[in-house]
Amino acid sequence: MLTSLLVAIALQGQPQIATEAPGIVAALTQETVEIREDFDGAELVLYGATRGLTIRDEIVVVLRGPGRDLRVMQKRRTFGIWINAAPLEFDDVPSYYAIATSLPLDTIAGPDELARSGVGLQAMLEANAAAMAPSWLLSASTLPAETADVLQPAAVADDHDVPALIRRDEVADYLAAIARSGRRDNTFAEAQRGVEILDGGLFRATIALPPLTPVGNYVAEVYLFRDGRPIASRSASLRVEKAGIERFFFEFAHDLPALYGLFCVLMAMLAGYLANLAFNRR
Amino acid sequence: MQIYLPIAEISVNIFLLLGLGLGVGFLSGMFGVGGGFLMTPLLIFIGVPPAVAVSTGANQIVASSMSGVFPHWRRKTLDIKMGLLLLIGGSAGSIAGVQLFALLRGLGQIDLIISLSYVGFLGVVGGLMMVESVRSILRAANPEKAGSKRPLRRRGWISRLPFKMRFPTSGLYISVLPPLAIGLFVGTLVAIMGVAGGFIMVPAMIYMLRMPTSVVVGTSLFQILFVTALTTFLQAAQNQTVDILLALLLTVGGVIGAQFGARAGRNVKAEELRALLAALVLAVCLKMGWDLVVTPSDLFVILPRGAGEGF
Repeated sequence: MLTSLLVAIALQGQPQIATEAPGIVAALTQETVEIREDFDGAELVLYGATRGLTIRDEIVVVLRGPGRDLRVMQKRRTFGIWINAAPLEFDDVPSYYAIATSLPLDTIAGPDELARSGVGLQAMLEANAAAMAPSWLLSASTLPAETADVLQPAAVADDHDVPALIRRDEVADYLAAIARSGRRDNTFAEAQRGVEILDGGLFRATIALPPLTPVGNYVAEVYLFRDGRPIASRSASLRVEKAGIERFFFEFAHDLPALYGLFCVLMAMLAGYLANLAFNRR
Repeated sequence: MQIYLPIAEISVNIFLLLGLGLGVGFLSGMFGVGGGFLMTPLLIFIGVPPAVAVSTGANQIVASSMSGVFPHWRRKTLDIKMGLLLLIGGSAGSIAGVQLFALLRGLGQIDLIISLSYVGFLGVVGGLMMVESVRSILRAANPEKAGSKRPLRRRGWISRLPFKMRFPTSGLYISVLPPLAIGLFVGTLVAIMGVAGGFIMVPAMIYMLRMPTSVVVGTSLFQILFVTALTTFLQAAQNQTVDILLALLLTVGGVIGAQFGARAGRNVKAEELRALLAALVLAVCLKMGWDLVVTPSDLFVILPRGAGEGF
């Protein structure tokens, strides 16, 4: 009787697991990261569970920092010295972008699918540039070859200084420069792995926060890819903030700038006076 | 041991900062200069954003000139009247310089202007100082050849300027315009280059205003103290680029280094000391000039673009 019941439950349960819609949940081990005076980077751990994980499934975790507006300039040699020229402005570029995957990203999904879902550094940057001036990147392939070379940036607000004409391949150079600069200070990171699949559909992702981690609101997005397509996703939020004495001085400097300036001057004068007392007394 | 700087927003080794203060303080104590022309480029080199390096440099000079001005105050080797005139000019220069700084930063050209100013001023001052000190070393080596001391030239056009005023401490009766102009010029340099400008003001006071050498250094320190204090205040209020933690760490190293430097300096002949300083100034000039000319490792620069200020 009991065994038959168990068998019935087991039989009932078996097909249910297989047909269940795939899903994913995730949580960060901490919701805030504090930057104190001894901050030298941190390691962030994200735990998650999947429902209906199969052998064809892979997991991608993206951590995206607060957006900031950038001006990218190209150095040009003028009268023998290198001068910043040809500025191009980008809005809302993530100040931090890290990606952790259960397999190398290019084996999880093809470039077209990554571009469509905006996953990956390259796809993210191109989506950003396309949002600013769609003609730079998107329409180029549909235009005749001669006009595709030189394009007028159309959808750019008036307050952005842009050169009159931008070559499409030049925009790619600017995007590559943003990516290089982020990789240099480790605020952009594409780990080839970083997601560890544990037993029972559980997984764990570790993401490194570098010493130059920007403060602000972060979003962690977790994707479940099946056969190269995202089939489920979840997001969790994270806040990176200054704490302790760092926070005190930062807020002091930004909220009460005049008083802070006065404070800096008085502290320096006091330090100089004390130095005089200590060393110049004869 | 790393320390995170709240305004510069970078993590730096605390001993590196103390050592930097100690080293620059040693040289500034030895040569009797502010050392800003060394400190600001070194801070930029270790990764402090140029805007923060320049403003924090000014804050640190407040501390070092404060400790330097006291002995002159006690010995009365300080022309307060002249100092106040230089200060009026300097304040106007500082205000203009802070505006210019913000404008250039908005255009993405502040690094270039800082570098060009350094190359230009350090090249000229270092070159002149080198020529002068090598001449005095040679003169000291064969004294019979150096018999003809040049007669003191008249002030020329400066003595013909209007608005004359008496300066009892310096024993001068000259127009107020040259001190105002010198102050204005040096005040602008404080804001743009993060230097005290002593290396320009001291020669200008000796050779242009013909002030007695005994009061020049004290008066220069007096003016520097207040102009850098004003610059610190303005940069903090307008650009939020003064890092108090960085300034204090540099100051701790700086005041101690300056004491040892001053002691070491007493064992070296004055003209040799000047030649060494000139070599140091020229070395910084060449390094910055080289960086402008050599092909950079990355041909693109990423500049943050903030609300209104371009920071």
